[in-house]
Amino acid sequence: MNTIIDISWLQLALGLLILVIPIYILRRFKTKLIGSTVIAVVRMIVQLIFVGYYLEYLFKYDNPWVNLGWILIMVLVADFSTIDRSELKRDKGLLVSIFIATFLGVFIIDLFFLQFVIQLPNIMEAQYLIPITGMILGNCLRGNVIGINDFYYNLYRHQERYRFFMASGATKSEGLFPFFRSALIKSINPTLAAMATIGLVSLPGMMTGQMLSGSSPLIAIKYQIMIMIAIFAGTLLSVYLGIKFSLNVGFDRQNNFRTTILKKEKE
Amino acid sequence: MTLSFSNIDFAYPGQATPILRNFSLTAETGDIIALQGASGSGKTTLFRLLLGFEKPTNGTITLDGKELVNEELFQFRNRTAWLPQDLDLGEGSLEEVFFYLFDFKNNKHKKPSKEKAYEIFEFLGLKDTQWNTGFRSLSTGQRQRIGIALCYFLDKEVLLLDEPTSALDEASKEKVKELLFDKNKIILSASHDPWWTTRCNKIVKINSPVV
Repeated sequence: MNTIIDISWLQLALGLLILVIPIYILRRFKTKLIGSTVIAVVRMIVQLIFVGYYLEYLFKYDNPWVNLGWILIMVLVADFSTIDRSELKRDKGLLVSIFIATFLGVFIIDLFFLQFVIQLPNIMEAQYLIPITGMILGNCLRGNVIGINDFYYNLYRHQERYRFFMASGATKSEGLFPFFRSALIKSINPTLAAMATIGLVSLPGMMTGQMLSGSSPLIAIKYQIMIMIAIFAGTLLSVYLGIKFSLNVGFDRQNNFRTTILKKEKE
Repeated sequence: MTLSFSNIDFAYPGQATPILRNFSLTAETGDIIALQGASGSGKTTLFRLLLGFEKPTNGTITLDGKELVNEELFQFRNRTAWLPQDLDLGEGSLEEVFFYLFDFKNNKHKKPSKEKAYEIFEFLGLKDTQWNTGFRSLSTGQRQRIGIALCYFLDKEVLLLDEPTSALDEASKEKVKELLFDKNKIILSASHDPWWTTRCNKIVKINSPVV
């Protein structure tokens, strides 16, 4: 296998020229998205440059504590992002619940795959731990946003149904069961769709990256299968735990829904 | 069993005028009470307060002398059946949503067979309703009848009926009375329907109770 050809910064800048096409189309249709596009591209570049340099450092020193610290930072950022994008208020209890749920979702899956499947001598090894955690976490974040938003806003729209169940002798879990089910289905649907079409309509980023850096496609697909399973399991686990843990904050002692945790109370 | 509202004041958040002021009511087993009052006078609010969905600003609600909070409230919710004005059992077929209530640990032993349930549906005039019909596609009247059948099968000690006859003809009203009136229960109903209120054994006018 050939090793990957490095891209110079100049070549990368040349690559940005292709943006002329989408910007032209966006302008032609007066979408008012040019500003957002420019901001998104700049943010993406700055963030990735920052991460690139940081990962260079992480990979070079490969200190388990530093690696763990980096993961905690990633989980913390995902935590705030989940709360914000789920349209919930930044309540301390919610932040703690979602943080623990996300961390556990990622940690359990990491432990299983790195320790028992890949059987790494050191599961804290940056080369494996950081990219695999990042892949799982990114997908957990998407699943959490869809699941937690659906759970609380669906409940808000159909509070009378939940109340009817509670007034008919349901425990809190029984009253919330249909809402929980709906949230889990909605959060996992994109991953299911991705699993069902992978390889046919898309070559995933991780596999592409591995092949570009010289891995055999057969090794790349094994990692890809593993990562898809990890994403599926991690997403469902973190959505389940996220909702479960946040219930203590989202309901009062009489098991009534606290709508004050929602950003948009009148949807 | 004695259910008491004592000197209840209540205002919804953001509303300057309380919807209930110094409201008191005592209901005992065997009472079939019609709550009367204009729309917005607080009849439905009384049910919500009783079920603990809202908290009175002042006053207490008790069952046999014990205030309905925390564990007492959970136990009370297990002793009630509530027919809201617009029953929402969620997505799914009639069969799924109807029997879901009997999956609850507290209601399992009351689960009727499909045949028995359908017998009551037919009695209530739901002959053309199929088990696989989506609950959401049923009319208001059909949903109300399903709610009445649920109250019948749940067979709880306290019945809270919010406008139970609003979408029913007279023959059906008679059947509802036949199914639900029971001297071993407390029945609290909010109704504008003279047919219904004249068949209750007590009438309470909201804001000026005359029990």
